[in-house]
Amino acid sequence: MVCTLILALALPLQLSVDAGLFPDVLNPYYLHLLTIIGMNIILVASLNLLNGYLGEFALGHAGFMAVGAYTAALLATKALPSAAALPPVLGTCIILVVTLGGAMLMAAGIGYLIGLVTFKTVGDYLAIITLGFNMIIVNAIQNLDFVGGPRGFTGIPKNTNFLAVAVCALLTLGLLRNLIQSSFGRVWVSIRENAIAAELMGVSIAKAKNWAFTIAAAFAGLAGGLWAQNQQFITPRSFDYIKTTEILVMLYLGGMASLSGSILGVVAYTLLMELLRNLLSAFAPQLAEWRMLISPLILIVIMLTRQTGLLGNREWRWLRPRQGA
Amino acid sequence: MDTIIQQLFNAAQLGAVYALIALGYSMVYGIIRLINFAHGDIFMLGGFIGLLLTTRFGWMPFYLLLPLAMLLTALVGVAIERVAYRRLRNAQRMSVVITTLGVGIFLENLVRLTVGPETRQIPARLPSAPVVWLQQHLGAFVTWDKLLIILISLALMAILWLVVNRTLIGTAMRAVADNKDAVPLMGVNLNLVIAVTFAIGSALAAAGGIFYGQAYSIDPYMGIDLGWKAFIAAVIGGIGSIEGAVLGSFLLAGVEVITVAYLSSNLKNGIAFGLLILLLLVWPWGIMGKPTLKKV
Repeated sequence: MVCTLILALALPLQLSVDAGLFPDVLNPYYLHLLTIIGMNIILVASLNLLNGYLGEFALGHAGFMAVGAYTAALLATKALPSAAALPPVLGTCIILVVTLGGAMLMAAGIGYLIGLVTFKTVGDYLAIITLGFNMIIVNAIQNLDFVGGPRGFTGIPKNTNFLAVAVCALLTLGLLRNLIQSSFGRVWVSIRENAIAAELMGVSIAKAKNWAFTIAAAFAGLAGGLWAQNQQFITPRSFDYIKTTEILVMLYLGGMASLSGSILGVVAYTLLMELLRNLLSAFAPQLAEWRMLISPLILIVIMLTRQTGLLGNREWRWLRPRQGA
Repeated sequence: MDTIIQQLFNAAQLGAVYALIALGYSMVYGIIRLINFAHGDIFMLGGFIGLLLTTRFGWMPFYLLLPLAMLLTALVGVAIERVAYRRLRNAQRMSVVITTLGVGIFLENLVRLTVGPETRQIPARLPSAPVVWLQQHLGAFVTWDKLLIILISLALMAILWLVVNRTLIGTAMRAVADNKDAVPLMGVNLNLVIAVTFAIGSALAAAGGIFYGQAYSIDPYMGIDLGWKAFIAAVIGGIGSIEGAVLGSFLLAGVEVITVAYLSSNLKNGIAFGLLILLLLVWPWGIMGKPTLKKV
């Protein structure tokens, strides 16, 4: 219901901004903000699978995003014809499906491999190893010359717009919601609550964890692919530890093990940052940079006063399964 | 031969800085099972406090400057523990870890906004003449400041070992590491023990920051990179173990110096993290760490 509503709003919004209607109210800046929010929702919701539902502390999400972004960028520039050579709307759709599919597959593959290596470790050691893989992925890309190395990858065609991001974000949320309510997701929650008891019930912990890693990585790759084709320029440095931290902050702000919390966390964080920037540059331009101090302070205050995040683990109704179904 | 000895001294200098940071990670983890992600930024802050003291109080000799900077940084470390971590001591571990991340970002941005984002060097306060004896007998060009940094660091580590193993407060620290819940029942002030741990860890990190600023350069974001490296060193050695942290630091520094000297400096981080993952797969609890058993 809500999904249909959002889609029904997204299409005319995109079209009217493209056409330049109501430039005062519907300008590209707001649309850009919404696009960023959409991509971050995909990232945060997929990390929630690992950190919220599976109960692990994975610190390498930006690495999977990097894999997806570079795969999509390579596919879009080297392997596929430009959108101009294809029929207008259908061509872009085909390009998006191919690039994003490739990005998801590649990221899922890497996520599967990392899951294989890390299956033994838990807790702090898992955090360190996933962070290590994040650093290794960034370092490897920096040493690959055919994707631009440390200078970054330029000239990616802009195939993504708000509409595409909105569709992807809703698909992600829908898929994750159903997955979490399925027997699959219950296995993850059971591992979080008590791994030993779950094992006694016949759950293969290594297998379930590896699935979670693969799926979370695939969606991070999807966000990366969208990101690359929206920003049109990516560098390895933009996918390092700082990006991972930002994703974590949004996740914990909203609340763990709640998809609604992921959405709320992303929207609250992004809007707050933009609001602070606009307010500070309007009233005290010399203090505009100080918002960088306010965001970690907000995080600390939230953790001190409300440790479960804004929403805790509650869900909005449209993200819950139907009663009696 | 002479270049190998020179590289050994380079590795020892870098390893000494890593060890000074790694000890703080390891002690805090050993005592309250907390990965203090802000510790790398405490190291950075120590370096900047050292810079401030050397530029504002130019008359101050190094043997006064180092303890003063260590003391000031220790105060900051204790204050952070008091304000941000103490209230979360019995909370979910994730919340505390996220709080430490927030504190780290806060410190980075604070220094960047007040001092500026530029890379700086702490004015040299140690003699930079070459050590004649080493040059004559081994043919290696090693400067006095490098040798002094290594020696002072080793002395600080020796003092730490004595404090932990031979004093009352050290006994209390080891007791808290063993069983945090039983220690207050024995009449030990838990808050004091934890505060002292944070103070010692921060002071050592400050010494590391000043040495790093003397040997290389400092900038507001150096805590991320070096903090992570030192953290890896602590994990390789076995987090929670003092000897392990020192051993892991020198090992990591050796591998890095060899990579830069004989392979490529671009591969430095990749190889460091690759080594971490390989070692953790062989020794899941680090070289000197104790395995933790999960109880049903």
